Amino acid sequence: MSIADATLVPIARHSWLTPSRAAGLALLGLLALFALLGPLLVSVDPTEQDFAASLTPPGSDYLLGADHYGRSMLARLAYGAQLSFGMALLTVATAALPGILLGLLAAWRGGLLERALELVSAVLLALPGLLLVLILLAFAPGTFGPLYLGLALTLWIEFYRVTRVTAAGVLKQPHVEATRLLGFKTGYILRNLVLPEIRPILITLAAFAMSTAIIAISTLSAISVGLRPPTPELGAMIVELLPYYAEAPLHVLMPGILIFLLVLGLQLATRSDLR
Amino acid sequence: MNAPVRFQSLTVSGLGISSGDTTIVRDVAFTLAQGRPVTLLGASGSGKSLVAHAIMGSLPAGLVAHGAIKLDDEDLLATSFERTRARWGRTIAILPQEPWLALDPTMRIAGQVGEVHRYLHGRGSAEAQTCMRADLTEVGLGNRTQAYPHELSGGMCQRAAIAVTHAAGACLVIADEPTKGLDAALRDSVVERLRQEVDQGRLLLTITHDIEVAAALGGMIGVMLDGALVEFGPAAEVLERPRHDYARTLIAADPARWAAPALPPPGEAVAAARGLSKRFGERTLFDGLDIAVRRGEIVAIVGPSGCGKTTIGNILLGLVTPDRGEVQRAPDIAQIRFQKLYQDPPAAFAPHQALRQGLGDLLKLHGLPWSQAEASMGRFGLGQELLDRRPNEVSGGELQRFAILRALLLDPVFLFADEATSRLDPVSQKQVFAILVEAVRARGLGLLMVTHEVALAEKLASRILRLPN
Repeated sequence: MSIADATLVPIARHSWLTPSRAAGLALLGLLALFALLGPLLVSVDPTEQDFAASLTPPGSDYLLGADHYGRSMLARLAYGAQLSFGMALLTVATAALPGILLGLLAAWRGGLLERALELVSAVLLALPGLLLVLILLAFAPGTFGPLYLGLALTLWIEFYRVTRVTAAGVLKQPHVEATRLLGFKTGYILRNLVLPEIRPILITLAAFAMSTAIIAISTLSAISVGLRPPTPELGAMIVELLPYYAEAPLHVLMPGILIFLLVLGLQLATRSDLR
Repeated sequence: MNAPVRFQSLTVSGLGISSGDTTIVRDVAFTLAQGRPVTLLGASGSGKSLVAHAIMGSLPAGLVAHGAIKLDDEDLLATSFERTRARWGRTIAILPQEPWLALDPTMRIAGQVGEVHRYLHGRGSAEAQTCMRADLTEVGLGNRTQAYPHELSGGMCQRAAIAVTHAAGACLVIADEPTKGLDAALRDSVVERLRQEVDQGRLLLTITHDIEVAAALGGMIGVMLDGALVEFGPAAEVLERPRHDYARTLIAADPARWAAPALPPPGEAVAAARGLSKRFGERTLFDGLDIAVRRGEIVAIVGPSGCGKTTIGNILLGLVTPDRGEVQRAPDIAQIRFQKLYQDPPAAFAPHQALRQGLGDLLKLHGLPWSQAEASMGRFGLGQELLDRRPNEVSGGELQRFAILRALLLDPVFLFADEATSRLDPVSQKQVFAILVEAVRARGLGLLMVTHEVALAEKLASRILRLPN
C-alpha cells in the first residue's frame, strides 16, 4: 500500500549487495579464477594419456584423479571450464547485443519494421532451438563456429522480445512524453529513461541465457554432435566417463558439479530482492 | 448479512511515531465514536496517513508507534503482530486510494466479494452467493455483479471496495483519500456512501485534503501540520472559526474563497484549433470544436471524467492528431516553448533519476546556467536538498512546483496544465496557481487548464469551455 506521507518515511537505501548476491558473486569469482588461471597453473596437457593411471581416485599423484585414459581430471576440468564458460559468455553477448538493439528499435519505431521483426522472431521461435543448432552443425560438424552461431540465433529472440515489450511499456509513460516535450532526443530517452528501467530484467535474462547456453553446449557434446573428443568439454567428459560410473562415480559427477556451481552462482548473483 | 461486532469508540491518545531518534508524528489525540466520524485534513507530508497506518498496525518498516490506540478497551498498539493481522479486514479495514488499482482486474466484482464470504467466513457456495448479492445491492451495484473493475467508474469501484469491507465485517473503516482523482459528481456519491457507513453504526476515520469532503462528512475535523494535530473540534466550528494559523490558511485555500487574478488584456493567439473532432473506437469525444489560447490569458476546460478534456490539450500540443479539423500554433516559435504539466506529478519524472540529474541534463541541453535554476528554486520555495531525491521521495506539491520550474526554464508561450493540482492539498494547489498566474501576467504565458473543479475554473479562467458528457 502506498503511503501518502512519502517525504516523512525515512528512505531505506537497500544495500545493493544482498547476502545471496555476495555469495553468488564470490562463487562466480572463484569459478572465473579456476577457468582463467587453472590452465596456466596446471602445467599438465589435458590430452596427455597415462594408461597406468587409468581411473586413479582423487588424492595421490593426480589431485582430482585421472580419467579412463589416465588424463589428469584437474587439467581437463580447468580447460573444460574455460571452454564452456568462455563459449557461453561469447554466445550470450552475441545474442544480447542485437536482441536488445532490435527490441529498442521495434519498440521505438513500431510499424512495418516491428511487424517484420516479429515475423522473423516467430519463425525462429517455431524451430526448436537444438534443431536449429543441429541444422547448422550439419555444415561443419564438431567445430565451434556453427554451435556458437546456432545458439546465438536461438537466444537473441528472448532478449529481443523482452526488450521490445518492456521498452514499449516505458515509452508509453507520461515522463517520456514530458522529456520529449522538453526537447530531449531519442538517444537520450533510450539511454537514460528506458535502459535503466529494463536493465534489471535484462541482467536476469542474461543469467538464464548463460545457463541455457552452458547446458546446451554440454548436452550437444554429450550426444556427440557438439565438440569432438579429445577436446576437454564438460558435457563430453560426462559422456566419456559414464561407462565407468560403477568404478569411479566421483569422476562422472565432477564436470556436472562444475556446471551446477556455475549456474547456481549466476542465479544467486542476479537474484532480485524480494520486496 | 453478517452483523459486525459493534465497537463503540476508538480513542487515540498521546500517539507518536518515530524513526530511530527522529520523531515524525507527536502527541496526536482524538476520539471517534459511533455517529461521530473524524476527518483528518492536512498537506501531504503532515503525517495524517501515518496516523491511519498506526491504527491499522501497518506502519512501514523502521517506524515505531507509541502512545495508546484503544478500540473500546483493547489497546491496539499493545497486541502482538498476529492479533493485529487477524484484525485486518475483519475488524479494521482501509479503503484503498484509487480502488480501481486495488481491485483484481481479472476477476468480476461478484467473485471478489463472494470469496470473502466463502474463504474468510467459510460459508457454503450458495450462501456466499446470497451474501455477495446482498452486499453489492446494498452499495447500489446489485445489477453490476458480473462487471469487471475496468467496466465500472471510479466511484463504482470505490463502492465495490466498500462492499468487500462489508463482507469482511469490518466495523472501523479508514478511508485514505477516498475521493482522490474523482470528479465532483463522483466525489459526492462516495461521500454520500461514507455517510451511510456512519449511519449504519460503523466507525469512520477519513484522511483527505479536500475541505468540501470534510464539510460534507461532518462529525469532527482534525487539522495536521508537521506531524502534530494543531486543531481538533466539531466540523462546523473548525470550518467557520479555525483557531490555529495553519488551519486558517488551509481553509482559506479552498478555491471558492480565492481572490480573482487581475490579468492584463490578452495578446495574439499562440495555439488555436477549428472544427476539431475525435473518436475513440465507437465513441465520439467531440465534434466541430473550436478553441483558441492567446498570450497572457487563462482558458479552462471543464467537464466530467472521460469527456475528452485532456485530448483537446494534447491536440493543441501536437501529441495527438485529431480525426478532423485544423490546428494552428504560432509560427516562428520553437516547439519546446509549448509545455505541459501532468496530473500526477511523479509520473512526469523519470523514476530512477535524482532530480538534480534530470535538471542538469535539461540545462545542459539548452545551454542554460545553473544559477537561473537555483534562483527559480528559491522563488518557488524549493530547497536545494530536494535535488538529491528521486521523484517518489518528494511531496506532490513540491514536485509539481518543480515541474513548473522545469517548464518555465524554457520560456514557454503555451502551457497545458492537465488537472495539475487535482492530487495536491489546497495549500499546495494555491501555491501552484499563484506561480502560474504570475507567469501568465509577467511573461505573457498562455495557460490552458483542464479541471473537474468548476469552482477553480470559474475563479481563475478568462474563458471557460464546458464539455458535456
